[in-house]
Amino acid sequence: MKLGKIIRWEFTQNVRSKQFLFITILIPAFVGLAVFAATRVIGAENTGPSEPPPPVIIGIFLAMILFLGAFMSGVMTLYGVLKEKQTRSAEMMLSSVSAWELMSGKMIGLGLTGLIQVAAWGVTAYFVAGLFFPVSLEMLTLVHWISYPLYFALGFLFIASIFGTVGASIKDIHSGGAVGIAGMIPYLPMVFAGLIVTQPDLLWVRIAGFIPPFTPAVMLLRIGATPIVSEGTRVVPAWEIGLSLLSLAVGTFLMMRFAAKVFEVGMLMTGKSASLRELWRWGRRGAS
Amino acid sequence: MCNQMVVEVERIDKRFESVHAVNEVSFSVERGEILGFLGPNGAGKTTTIRMILGIFDPDAGEIRSSLGPSLGRVPKERTGYLPEERGLYGDAKIHDLLTYFGELKGLQRAEARERARRWLERFDLLDWSTKKVEKLSKGMQQKVQFIAAVLHKPDLVVLDEPFAGLDPVNQDLLKEIIRGLREDGAAILLSSHQMNRVEELCDRIFLIHRGRRVLYGDLDEIKEAHGEHAVSIRFAGDGSVLQGTSGATDLRIEGSRASFTLSRDASPDAFVRALPEGLGILALHVDRPPLHDIFVRTIGDDDEAR
Repeated sequence: MKLGKIIRWEFTQNVRSKQFLFITILIPAFVGLAVFAATRVIGAENTGPSEPPPPVIIGIFLAMILFLGAFMSGVMTLYGVLKEKQTRSAEMMLSSVSAWELMSGKMIGLGLTGLIQVAAWGVTAYFVAGLFFPVSLEMLTLVHWISYPLYFALGFLFIASIFGTVGASIKDIHSGGAVGIAGMIPYLPMVFAGLIVTQPDLLWVRIAGFIPPFTPAVMLLRIGATPIVSEGTRVVPAWEIGLSLLSLAVGTFLMMRFAAKVFEVGMLMTGKSASLRELWRWGRRGAS
Repeated sequence: MCNQMVVEVERIDKRFESVHAVNEVSFSVERGEILGFLGPNGAGKTTTIRMILGIFDPDAGEIRSSLGPSLGRVPKERTGYLPEERGLYGDAKIHDLLTYFGELKGLQRAEARERARRWLERFDLLDWSTKKVEKLSKGMQQKVQFIAAVLHKPDLVVLDEPFAGLDPVNQDLLKEIIRGLREDGAAILLSSHQMNRVEELCDRIFLIHRGRRVLYGDLDEIKEAHGEHAVSIRFAGDGSVLQGTSGATDLRIEGSRASFTLSRDASPDAFVRALPEGLGILALHVDRPPLHDIFVRTIGDDDEAR
């Protein structure tokens, strides 16, 4: 009940903001129009390759866009939490709702905003790519349709919980310090993106896919890239997808609970950033 | 006024690392009363308030409330809170924000909107209702936040320094509204350092110092118990005739003003009748000691006793 109201509030407040207008409508529209105009002028569509790109390109591209979207919404969560803390509105809120409701409502509301942004970019990319190649959504398999949204949703909640924890435990945006680095952990696999894409069946890549902070990045890339090795005949085994989703779900839940505990303490504390030791204690015990 | 307990706090205790913030504190707030919640800075007031409101739990002790289905925690829907650290979402529109707060307290959207409109009207803020919070002056934001605290007709209202930042006209308006809430049966916890406001409004007071309760009870009875009367006189004649007034201690004469304390056994009646000739009184004020003095003395005594 209350959770729904918080989600709606966070969502509508964000959709009405200027940044949202820029990121979701103006920039994609500008890019789309610019590319379209360029092809008209130089006639690029006649010079480019006309055979369809391998499906893997679409898969990897989609993985990247989803992951980038999750990251941006995560950063928005960080700002949202810090703003709530700095405007001192948290105390009023916490006398009406629980720390858990406040945190998850904020995250889900921002996540939905992020989803719209991802969709806007996706449509733009689809349109732009269509100017050069004959692309079609049929290049995506059922596996993509089912697993991508789940990895995105869970991955976003995981990332947003980390950013929420960071936001609730620091004094201002300039004092991220050691805690701020935590927000980068889920992005480590991106450093090895080239390797994951070309050798998605390596043992350590498969193992990394089960470790929650790395799951979204690794699995999105693996699933996107698998047909390249096996020429469209093989996919990532279903049990691996299922197990990694389960492991991610558990990890996300634990991370969210940790973040909510940190919220309880951190949101009412201003003028001081938590040390890592304090953060660990807050996350375990909350305000009690 | 019926004496129905709304919240009862029994021996609650709270520690933060090395600080013993609240030490076995007990008190209750009743329907239709204003309890003055006093204490020096850092005494444990905010911590106690946050525990009553369920923002966090005490380490030990019990908080009971008659507001829920069973005698248990205070339901968040039934409480209203004006924190000392004011804060509202700056980029939200005022009417929308109040509606949102009302909804979080369990009101239907339309109902919350309508009530918010009526309150904005009462505080003369209706013209601002579609403006963003950050466009408001500090005093106006204060009024908006007060509305957020009472919009849903809470049974327990906690007001922390509600008069801070308001002009005298708005202070009077707020005073009248707070009295109205009491009349409607709300239990009100009023925390303030403005002792004159506390004296004007509160039925009972609770004084906390270093996490412990040092004074608690009916305001008039507490004043009674402190016995003496405080006398201040403004005069045109010769002040020195006041020397040797029976029962007067701490006599201070500065120019045309004199002030002293009349001891417990000296009645104001007798004192007035025995006033010496030649003083030329312009103003005479005899009263129980102001709450300010009781506050300062109680805190001082408590510090000495440790």
